[in-house]
Amino acid sequence: MLIGIAIGFFVGILPGLGGPTTLALMLPFIFKMTPVEAFAFLLGMAAVTNTTGDITSILFGIPGEPTTASTIVDGHPMAKNGEAGRALGAAIMSSLFGAVFGAFVLALAIPVVRPLVLTFGSPEFFMLALLGITFVASLSGEALLKGLVAGCLGLWFATIGLDPVSGIQRYTFGQLFLWDGVGLVPVTIGFFAIPEVIDLAVQGSSIAKLDVGRLGGVWQGVRDTFTHWLLVLRCSAIGTFVAIIPGMGAATTQWLAYAHAVQSSPNRERFGRGAVEGVLGPGAANNSTLGGSLVTTIAFGVPASVTMAILMGAFLIQGLVPGPSMLMPAPKGHLAVTFSMVWTIVISNIITVAFCFLFLRQLVRITQVRGALLIPFILMLIAVGAFAEKNVFEDVLVVLAFGVLGWVMARLGWPRPALLLGLVLGPLAENKLFLSTDNYGLGWLVRPGVLILFAVIVGGLLAPFVSEARRRARSPAAAAVEQEARRQRELRGLQFDGTTAFSALIVVLFGWALWQSRHFGVRAGLFPWAVGFPGLALGIVQFARDFTGHRSGAAPESVGDAGPDVPPDVARRRSIEICAWIAGFWVAFWLLGFSLATLVMTLLYLKLAARERWVLSILLCVFSVAFVYGLFEKALGVPFPPGQLFVWLGMDVGL
Amino acid sequence: MSSPGRATIAIALLGALGLLAALAWTIPAHAQARFFEGKTIRIIVGFSAGGGFDTYSRAIGRHLSRHIPGNPAIIVENMPGAASLIAANQVYRVAKPDGLTIVNFHGNQVIGQLLGREGIDFDVRKFQWVGVPMRDSTVCALTRASGITSLDQWMAAKTPVKLGGIGPGDTTHDVARVLQTALGLPIQLVRGYKGTADIRLAAEAGEVAGGCWQWESVKSTWRKALEAGDITIVLQIASKPLPDLPNVPLASKLARTEEARQLINAGIIVPTAMSRLYALPPGTPADRVQLLRTAFRETLRDSEFKADAARAKLDVDPIGGEELEHLVQELFKLDSAIVMKLKGVLR
Repeated sequence: MLIGIAIGFFVGILPGLGGPTTLALMLPFIFKMTPVEAFAFLLGMAAVTNTTGDITSILFGIPGEPTTASTIVDGHPMAKNGEAGRALGAAIMSSLFGAVFGAFVLALAIPVVRPLVLTFGSPEFFMLALLGITFVASLSGEALLKGLVAGCLGLWFATIGLDPVSGIQRYTFGQLFLWDGVGLVPVTIGFFAIPEVIDLAVQGSSIAKLDVGRLGGVWQGVRDTFTHWLLVLRCSAIGTFVAIIPGMGAATTQWLAYAHAVQSSPNRERFGRGAVEGVLGPGAANNSTLGGSLVTTIAFGVPASVTMAILMGAFLIQGLVPGPSMLMPAPKGHLAVTFSMVWTIVISNIITVAFCFLFLRQLVRITQVRGALLIPFILMLIAVGAFAEKNVFEDVLVVLAFGVLGWVMARLGWPRPALLLGLVLGPLAENKLFLSTDNYGLGWLVRPGVLILFAVIVGGLLAPFVSEARRRARSPAAAAVEQEARRQRELRGLQFDGTTAFSALIVVLFGWALWQSRHFGVRAGLFPWAVGFPGLALGIVQFARDFTGHRSGAAPESVGDAGPDVPPDVARRRSIEICAWIAGFWVAFWLLGFSLATLVMTLLYLKLAARERWVLSILLCVFSVAFVYGLFEKALGVPFPPGQLFVWLGMDVGL
Repeated sequence: MSSPGRATIAIALLGALGLLAALAWTIPAHAQARFFEGKTIRIIVGFSAGGGFDTYSRAIGRHLSRHIPGNPAIIVENMPGAASLIAANQVYRVAKPDGLTIVNFHGNQVIGQLLGREGIDFDVRKFQWVGVPMRDSTVCALTRASGITSLDQWMAAKTPVKLGGIGPGDTTHDVARVLQTALGLPIQLVRGYKGTADIRLAAEAGEVAGGCWQWESVKSTWRKALEAGDITIVLQIASKPLPDLPNVPLASKLARTEEARQLINAGIIVPTAMSRLYALPPGTPADRVQLLRTAFRETLRDSEFKADAARAKLDVDPIGGEELEHLVQELFKLDSAIVMKLKGVLR
């Protein structure tokens, strides 16, 4: 188990290399183990990746795992505010809390889960996905309209790929790598990490801009966990219970938990700027998910996620058949194994947390290192992380495309989480909608479960309006101020600038998407239409608002704002520079291959852009290359493609 | 000089000839040993790590080296996407045909080319075949709740029986469609499930009656329900009855016309048998192809490999490279009327 934890620890920290890949690679080692040992090993590994993934998210703004992307939204701004310690403390503590919660639910829920899940058919799953999509509203903060458009955009991105039922290619441009849709890993990495790199370069400082009581913050974070224990508990519950539904893994639950944290907070505007609740929620949820997913895997043999699919392979290797017998005591069943899993989750999380606390001091210091020293390293991690998931170079380009999109959205105050939630839930919603209709005709609309969930959705949508109205009624003064502000906004004249251009671009995109979808037929086209028309309409409204100067407040994110210390012209020059450097890195990855490009570009960047001393530059260079070549290419066997330049020169490069 | 002398010369001559022959015979082997020595063979799996294809490849990868002269290192890489088309295309177009790259892709892509499916950038007939570790067969499993426990009941069903399916190009889909056409079974295929696990869950929840896919998979993942009698294997689609299902009706026996028999054979039996293809890019030298075929065959017979496979619950029933080549060629000799018919059914 300790070995498993150690492996999981590092894998979690490295972006791109997810828990599933590692689990698969480690599977052969369990042949010679007893079932209890084997699961201690594998679960120990799986259990900690979500905790350590949070660390990467907070420190660098790169999701260490696709399941820890939501921690970035508030965790990384906290690191920027000099509160990295507090954010890490909160993330790790809430992770522990979530994991333990998930483990106990696993233990308790097992007897009742079978009948419960079996009453859930495709229609109920569809309604749950719909419920999740309505969370877009609360993820949008003050910019509701932009949030809805972003949500539509996310849902639209989710339709890219081969429609599995009709076999029609949707928006794939004939590219095979788009058949399975745009990958969540490159999208999240690009979406969050590249804007952070640009921001870091523009600031020209370290990640932490302010220096607030370094390590004392860790305990502050731990205390936060207990102060907000009810939120942590609720988010743990979201993680566990949503994960019981097959198809909903931590990649989804984290966003739902984040949305819930925002929704339940009295002052939402703090979110995205470093609110500790925004770290606690997803921190707890992505860890509690493991327990929930295990419930479905154990009780039905239906893996709820990729990780679980691999664990199920392990079950079979060990001669255990998932199903009711896992819940019966020794002679007939394997209850002991099941309980040992519960304990493994609990113990391995405690060990990880203890371990994390030992090293937090060093970790937090990273945020005080000069940004220029980190940039080449982060860029390398972004590219490697994007590539390593599927070993497809195109994904490295997807990262870049979404990096640009993410940066523009962040600059213009569009809520990025809304888009990601749409992307995550889109396929599930589409799939379950058709399954419902095929199985039950229109009869599924009147199933009791569907009606109950419908009531919940309507309630959830109306609740904010009701409370808003109540708040206004209570404080007419605030309402008056708001009215005044609104009138001032209205005074601006027609505007055509970057903001308007981006809205226009979105309108054009939706228009194009709808035009493309005219040949899809009902089966493949219904969903793109259902998303495209509202997207188009809302986009036009947004465009009109931007154009006429009726601008709403900023979204709850402020990445990319240059801040008061950097004058605008310097900020502009630095932005252009860093964009050129990023482009340079990418061209180099393509032409020279990953290892050589890392060597050359790191050195060039450190000498030319950052003007560092030779000794330091070379040292960092060697370190980066050792990282790419030694760890990824040799130790982990990631098959990097050879540089295109060498292919042209006809050098011996194999595949 | 008397006869003993002549005999000595004859023997010496013969000996020399034999030695020469032995030399001549061993030279290529030596050359090959020198070729593979210190090299690395890469097995590129068209599916992600941890899946069934990957598990077989990793198990084979652990033991293949011992059976290749020069004992090259073997590494397994995953290049998932588009149901293994990305890997097949990549190896066909880009990989050097030097015997150091083996691709493991899905046999459905062979029939895919025949049916003119999109995204295929290769001529499947030009691949050099190494073999298949496991000859898969499919069965149809229905739940007790569906009320159908035998083929006769199914044939007589008033309302079409709901089967869960994934989508075109997948076994769950293709088997149901071919059976519907070839045997006239009343089937309503519900497509769009994400995998066989999803279909199992839907069947247990009563949403569908069951589905048709690999016996291998049903046997291991649905074993408890099978033992408890909660599901029944109603039909098997194989060239001969499977050893553990002696009494389940065979689909091809029920086919009334030659066309129906051919549809079942070309649409189900052959593609599923060759699902787990291992191939080399076109133009790989014939001696290396031969050497790797032999090594593949011997690996699958290796007792250590068998022990590993047994532990991982991987059944082994190999198809050799030569037989595989023959099977592929046979598919391309199919009557164009049958191909047209299949196109219509499997769309």
